[in-house]
Amino acid sequence: MRKITSYLVTLITANILVITAFAQNVTISGNVQNSATTENAAAVSVSLKGYETGTYTDDKGNFTVNTKVLPATLIFSSIGYQQQEVSVTSAAAFLKIKFVPSNSLGQEVVVSASRVPQKILESPVSIERVNAAAIRNAPAANFYDIVSTLKGVDVTTSSLTFKTPTTRGFGGSGNTRFNQLVDGMDNQAPGLNFSVGAIIGLNELDIDNIELLSGASSALYGPGGMNGTMLMTSKNPFKYQGLSFVVKQGIMHTDKRERPTSPYYSYSLRWGKKISQKFAFKITTEFIQAKDWIGTDYRDYNRSAAKLKAGDRLTDPGYDGVNTYGDETSADIRQVLNGAAAAVPFLAPYISTLTGKPIVVSRTGYTEQEIINPNTVNFKLGGSLHYKISDGTEASVAAYWGTGNTIYTGASRYTIKDFKMGQYKLEFINKNWLLRAYTTQENAGGSFNLAATTQNFNEAWKPSRGSNGWFAQYGQAYLGSKLNGATDYDAHVAARAIADIGRPKVGTATFTNLYDSVSKLPVPLGGALLDRSDLYNVEGNYNLSSLTKRFADLLIGGNFRKYVLNSQGTLFADTAGPIGIREVGAYIQASKEFGIVKLTASGRYDKNENFKGRLTPRVTAVIKLAENNNFRLSYQTAYRFPSTQQQWINLDLVSYKLIGGNDAFRSIYNFDGNPTYDRDSLRHGKIVATPFTSLKPESLSSFEAGYKGLIMDSKLLIDIYTYFGEYTDFLARRNVVQSKSGSAITLGDTSQGQTYSVPINSPGKIKTYGFGIGLDYRLPLNFGVSVNAASDNLSNVPNNFTTFFNSPKYKLNASLGNTGFGPQKRLGFSVAYRWQDSFYYDGDLASGQLPSVQTVDAQVSIKLPKTKSVLKVGANNLLNQYYYNGIGNSNIGGLYYVSFGYNIY
Amino acid sequence: MKFNKKIKIACLLVLSGAAVLTACNKGLEQIQGTTPVSVILPGSGSALGDTLKSSARANDSLYFKIIVKSGLLATLNNKANEYTVFVPTNAAVRKFVTAITGGAVPAAAPDAVFSAFLSSASFPAASAAGIVSYNIIPQKLLSTNIPASFPNFQYPTLINPAPSISALLRLTTFLSTRNGAWVNNTPIVSLDNLAANGVFHEIANVVVPPTTFLWDRINADTTLKYLKAAIIRADSGTVAPGTLVGALLNIGANLTVYAPTDSAFQVTLSGAIYQALVAQGFPAGGSTFATANSLATGRDSIGPTVFRNPLLFKALSAQKVKGLIVYHILGVRAFNNNLPTTESYFPTLLNGAIPTHPGIGLKAVFTGSFVSSATVKGVANATAANILINPLPAPSGTSDQFYLNGVLHKIDQVLLPQ
Repeated sequence: MRKITSYLVTLITANILVITAFAQNVTISGNVQNSATTENAAAVSVSLKGYETGTYTDDKGNFTVNTKVLPATLIFSSIGYQQQEVSVTSAAAFLKIKFVPSNSLGQEVVVSASRVPQKILESPVSIERVNAAAIRNAPAANFYDIVSTLKGVDVTTSSLTFKTPTTRGFGGSGNTRFNQLVDGMDNQAPGLNFSVGAIIGLNELDIDNIELLSGASSALYGPGGMNGTMLMTSKNPFKYQGLSFVVKQGIMHTDKRERPTSPYYSYSLRWGKKISQKFAFKITTEFIQAKDWIGTDYRDYNRSAAKLKAGDRLTDPGYDGVNTYGDETSADIRQVLNGAAAAVPFLAPYISTLTGKPIVVSRTGYTEQEIINPNTVNFKLGGSLHYKISDGTEASVAAYWGTGNTIYTGASRYTIKDFKMGQYKLEFINKNWLLRAYTTQENAGGSFNLAATTQNFNEAWKPSRGSNGWFAQYGQAYLGSKLNGATDYDAHVAARAIADIGRPKVGTATFTNLYDSVSKLPVPLGGALLDRSDLYNVEGNYNLSSLTKRFADLLIGGNFRKYVLNSQGTLFADTAGPIGIREVGAYIQASKEFGIVKLTASGRYDKNENFKGRLTPRVTAVIKLAENNNFRLSYQTAYRFPSTQQQWINLDLVSYKLIGGNDAFRSIYNFDGNPTYDRDSLRHGKIVATPFTSLKPESLSSFEAGYKGLIMDSKLLIDIYTYFGEYTDFLARRNVVQSKSGSAITLGDTSQGQTYSVPINSPGKIKTYGFGIGLDYRLPLNFGVSVNAASDNLSNVPNNFTTFFNSPKYKLNASLGNTGFGPQKRLGFSVAYRWQDSFYYDGDLASGQLPSVQTVDAQVSIKLPKTKSVLKVGANNLLNQYYYNGIGNSNIGGLYYVSFGYNIY
Repeated sequence: MKFNKKIKIACLLVLSGAAVLTACNKGLEQIQGTTPVSVILPGSGSALGDTLKSSARANDSLYFKIIVKSGLLATLNNKANEYTVFVPTNAAVRKFVTAITGGAVPAAAPDAVFSAFLSSASFPAASAAGIVSYNIIPQKLLSTNIPASFPNFQYPTLINPAPSISALLRLTTFLSTRNGAWVNNTPIVSLDNLAANGVFHEIANVVVPPTTFLWDRINADTTLKYLKAAIIRADSGTVAPGTLVGALLNIGANLTVYAPTDSAFQVTLSGAIYQALVAQGFPAGGSTFATANSLATGRDSIGPTVFRNPLLFKALSAQKVKGLIVYHILGVRAFNNNLPTTESYFPTLLNGAIPTHPGIGLKAVFTGSFVSSATVKGVANATAANILINPLPAPSGTSDQFYLNGVLHKIDQVLLPQ
């Protein structure tokens, strides 16, 4: 049946060709095979020497190409193979090509470094590339994890499916200084400000390559990419055809430390089809389900000082565990005791002996394990239609849609539940120009904040305040126990037991029903996040080089972007209706070679309606020391406009209000009539006015020098870089206090007043510097070993200033692998090791010293050429050594899987 | 084959490398620093009950009998709780037993006799429980925790006189380390004896919990008839619970009453009444003058009824009498041993109406470690009134008389506020 279909397709194709391509009258067809494994080689580029015509082999290795003249020379090329030229004299014979795998380094072509294709060795800035072959041989269960093995990359793991990469510091779950682009589209959730590449992105089978620019890149990619940009590109169905799928089954929690041992399922499928020379389509889908890792950090946290402290639920009445929720609500029960003293005067002297120091008591919390939905689910569906309008111009429409449940760490842990995000794109690509329009449609679904939800859940079953509230009951019971001679410890234990009478037990219907209903109410009554923000973007560029060749290569481009913030007043100050934010930008880039030096200069101008326009220049130089040995130098400035949340968030977190920096807040909270004061100074007895100021974009000037070269008979690839940068108008947050009554501020307002967390530009310049080095060595018999190390540092940080730099001073990756060895080179394996140094982690949820982390991932695979399939056994965190890379984040153990992949290329 | 061997070696190397890494990642590091404030581990050694039982505490053996009878031994041996216990010495217990038996157990009897009495049915368990629980303070109070300021430090005991009203109600005891160390007016003779679950202090008398109110004494005392009459007069026109009698019967009140004796009242009244009557015009007519004169001078004929005599209503209006009476009452409990040795002024209840009033002057003179004399001075009195020192129990006692809601001292002058 399949044969008949393919004949039909061939026939139809042939007919179309006859009609539309009458000039091309000779058809050459053939098949390409891997000479070592005898597998059919798919997606091999087949081009006619001297012409721009070309095609790719399909998933069976077959190709058909038309030519006007014979003899013709065909060039076969593909990453991982030696380029081969074949002279064809007759169209009659079916060509059988033995394509020889090669193990050479540094042959890849990158696009993102200058927006034009160039050899990776000649890139003017630091760039890393992951191709489909690397993904195939990687031990990672999810391709997204491969990023963490790249030089200079730090990944913050919120949960199994929520990972946030960054380069050059500022790691963290909600990273706003690192852009992620999927097929040219900004992948950030427009309302939540974090990129969701891992959950609403491409599926593993559809990844053509990942390019990662470490360091400032906003000169080309617009505001945001201060620290780096990651570009993921999917497989074009004209090139990659056929049906592929992977079934991955694994187990997690093998030691039952967090949960009972549970399965991990991951299924992905891609179907790409070239219907004709002009029309192709693809459909991709992926489904992942597992019981997630959870945060199990039950250490006591001093929230106002942002420090971990000694103690636990039993020893500290005011205990506030990092991964326990609801215990953020606390009060000084001296209020209750003093009330008792006033009512019962003969106890007053006694009570006064108890009330010398604050007696801070917190509500009893629930652990993350008790309240979090254990199921993490991720479903992705995508597809695209491609039409070649002419030889050089391709039009496509594409949709990327995903939904899922996961856990994210922000100011609290968030259960991201039924989150949906779709990205829809219309694109025209010509080799000289590009026009792209896309939109991102986000719906936070039933997502909720664990702390706010649990705090309000506690209020729902027993209010904290009031004469018979939880704290009153606690205080009276505490006093009662003290009056019977109980020790402080016992009195607190007894008081908690009495105040907790009626506390719903986890797992009961009462608990579940109440918790669910509270989680659906928006903050401040519940913990729900009703975010439906959208993003619209149009962009284009034109490469004028063909016209300006004699003078220089010239590239121009521009974009327009609009955010539409829509949270119905639950996240943003948008009670009156959605808030629009418009940005427009344009850039120009010129490059010219002067002997061995290639100079490139770019400039980009951006304007956000709420901020003054900014110009970002970039100048790069590549000096060709020898063939395949290049020295690079670059200077660029990068900047970012404050994120949508930094502009417009308006979230009442009960103990304080998290607000944006837009001038509208001046009148919303009457900051001119009732000014604000620095809270920390007030705590130290000083009244320091800190008026609400207008925000400026943050900028970074960065110098970088590097060398990339192939030495030792092209067996060793070296890549070294060092950089130095300086941040200006660094965006941070500050706590200020405003009098609730509108009267003059007093020291008592540290507790009585209204606290706001407002975004500010920190004064002074903060310096950053670091280096990276990577070595790839090709051993005989297809073995490869690679090692990379990097260091990132921040200095000149003002005292008492939290930067959220969150990067280890040193980190190291090492891997050993082989993509084909043994009989018919059917076996493959790889082992990857990663180490990162201990460092102090600043987070909105919690801060503290992170211990160093080491992980080992490994896989072994065997190809089964007859069935075009691959069996793989792999392990992530092979040794099941639990680690966490952010305070309060999930504690990650080992994941072991077996996968069966069909038609993977 | 050779090749396969190489692979095996490579794999082994990788695996052994991996093994080295085992157990490298650290778990959550515990936070070092200040130890949690509220962890109090049960102390080692004997608890209070067992300590008092031991032969080393032979001088507390009689009180230990009382503890056993009270049924509170288990409480005192509960190491989960902390207590301060006042322990009367054997000498104190002997005095106490001799007093309550009216001399039937003579002071000179051997300890075995006292022991036998305390164990017998003649000494009810309820009495023992009252005494012992009144001498236990929940929480550990070392002498350094007891202030030396005026007034005494009020501390709850284990006795709840009315659990039905509130679980937080407690009879209180009054501690001081001024001029020595005291529980109410009983000297502490041995301080800070530590046990695993608290501390005990030895005292020189058995401190018995009060069972009656200040008003009960004033109402019944035959030398305080004028005071009683004056209080009733002061209350006329006022509705309970705002009355003085109401306050003197309120368990929540905390008062010190300086009670002028009848003779003191008579002296003051005869002068005052004469003046008042003269002011009303009595000197103008003959017969009425005689009445005035006889009323004013015929001391013996003036009874407490003077406050009910309609002729004198104007002179002794309810408001005036109330002003006078509240000037004799402090809103705190003052034992003589905690008075300053140089005269100092303290506010009275009159300060509730006249906040700037200087109050009354108090002073005690010590002979040895005991108060030998003490005085109270009203601002308009020429001389200070004397507190009639006699701390024995009612009815004969006249100073440091201890009630549920206050202390009473008899004095020999009426204090004049202006």
